[in-house]
Amino acid sequence: MSGEDQERFEDYLELEQYLEELQAGHIAHPPAEMTPAQARVYRMAALFRSASPEASEPRPEFAQALQAKLEQELQQPVTAVQSSGKQGKQGKQKQPSRVSRRRALFAGGAAVAASLAIGAGIDRVIEQVGSNNASTATYTPTDTPLIAADVPTIWHPVTTLAKLGNDAVPFSANAIVGYVIRDNSDPTKETIIAMSAACTHMGCIVNWQNSDRTFYCPCHGSTFTASGGIDTNTGNWGVHYLRPLPRLNTKVENGTIYVEVPAPSATSSSSGAGGQTVWLRKTNQK
Amino acid sequence: MSTLRGQQGHRGQTQFVGVERDTVNAQEFQTFYQENLSLIYRFVYSKVGNREEAEDLTSQIFIKAVRGVDTERGELSMQKWLFQVARTTIADYWRSYYRISVSSLEELLDAGWEGPANAEETVFNVGPTERVQRILQALPEHYREVLHCRFLLNLSIRDTALKMGLSEANIKVLQFRALKRAADMEKVVAETP
Repeated sequence: MSGEDQERFEDYLELEQYLEELQAGHIAHPPAEMTPAQARVYRMAALFRSASPEASEPRPEFAQALQAKLEQELQQPVTAVQSSGKQGKQGKQKQPSRVSRRRALFAGGAAVAASLAIGAGIDRVIEQVGSNNASTATYTPTDTPLIAADVPTIWHPVTTLAKLGNDAVPFSANAIVGYVIRDNSDPTKETIIAMSAACTHMGCIVNWQNSDRTFYCPCHGSTFTASGGIDTNTGNWGVHYLRPLPRLNTKVENGTIYVEVPAPSATSSSSGAGGQTVWLRKTNQK
Repeated sequence: MSTLRGQQGHRGQTQFVGVERDTVNAQEFQTFYQENLSLIYRFVYSKVGNREEAEDLTSQIFIKAVRGVDTERGELSMQKWLFQVARTTIADYWRSYYRISVSSLEELLDAGWEGPANAEETVFNVGPTERVQRILQALPEHYREVLHCRFLLNLSIRDTALKMGLSEANIKVLQFRALKRAADMEKVVAETP
């Protein structure tokens, strides 16, 4: 890398100009002719900008407008059909003219999945599928667990009874991020519950705060009670569709607390398009 | 195309007349979108540093991803496909400001224009913000302070100078070198768990 003696006075000014533009909320570009060393400086400036107070999340208006645009795109028919198996072996529709992009999106082998946000919105999906006579809907509209029935699971050890205090204990296993916690709602018996940590709003991982026994979402301020329910005290900024954090099965064996999570190889190839098992497919080959 | 959907008021209770076959996918798409929008947006923001372009590029990325979904995606998962489009879109964006001729996209990506790495890394939000924090921790005091003032506190150069008891000219030099050092450290810091 170039030494500091190679810096020119203009470099400092140009950078400052760039920063001031960004601080003012304007579009700014690095100087057109950059050395690699300069490029790194500007790249770093942009990165640090994203940690500034006003960066953070996309504006709701923007999010909605883009979604509407994408919905339109999705109505377009598929432009070309792969004749070979390139699109996946899972029986993609063979009628190009009648297949919308939307079908291609999640058909067959396509995996949405395994974003950290598993569980976000699944309840919503289920709720709305309800009374459609959709042949693709293979699951029942109520009480559908986070992990579909045909997904192989394993019991993942999280902690022990002895170590589990009143705090929520985070765990991460096979595409599920969650918390284990003692459920104090019924004082007459000791219950240990586990839930997904993906906020049901947009899938950010919620943080546990022991002082008020609440899960806080860092993204938009959703809050959940210790049992994963909607925290009605805070109002949750008017999100009506917010759902409780999805539960996971737990068991205690020899003092160790286990959570039921998808097996590492859970690719759920048996499920048809639209089944929610796609949620559990891993994206990372290890 | 939009005639069918035009009958619905709100997403939610209304039935999707005539498009029931796509309903499940519509919901899946919505969920997918909501989960990934922030991820992509923050990633893009960390590359361009301003909202307007962040929104513009985010739109481009999602639209490209959707348009190419049937022809170019191959066997990638939707999310991987989306990240790939994000990477190439950002790479193109930077390339236009990069004097050194970049012989291949790979070279550029190797040079650090990688996208949101993988799900593992972003678990528990190791996103751009976290990376900034890690870099800050690793920097010498005066570098850390100047970056903290200019970026995290969003102070003007004048206020930063006042706060640090230096001249504005000093700050200009200092912040340049701080960012330069930060860039040198980034890789080391990012690879340390």
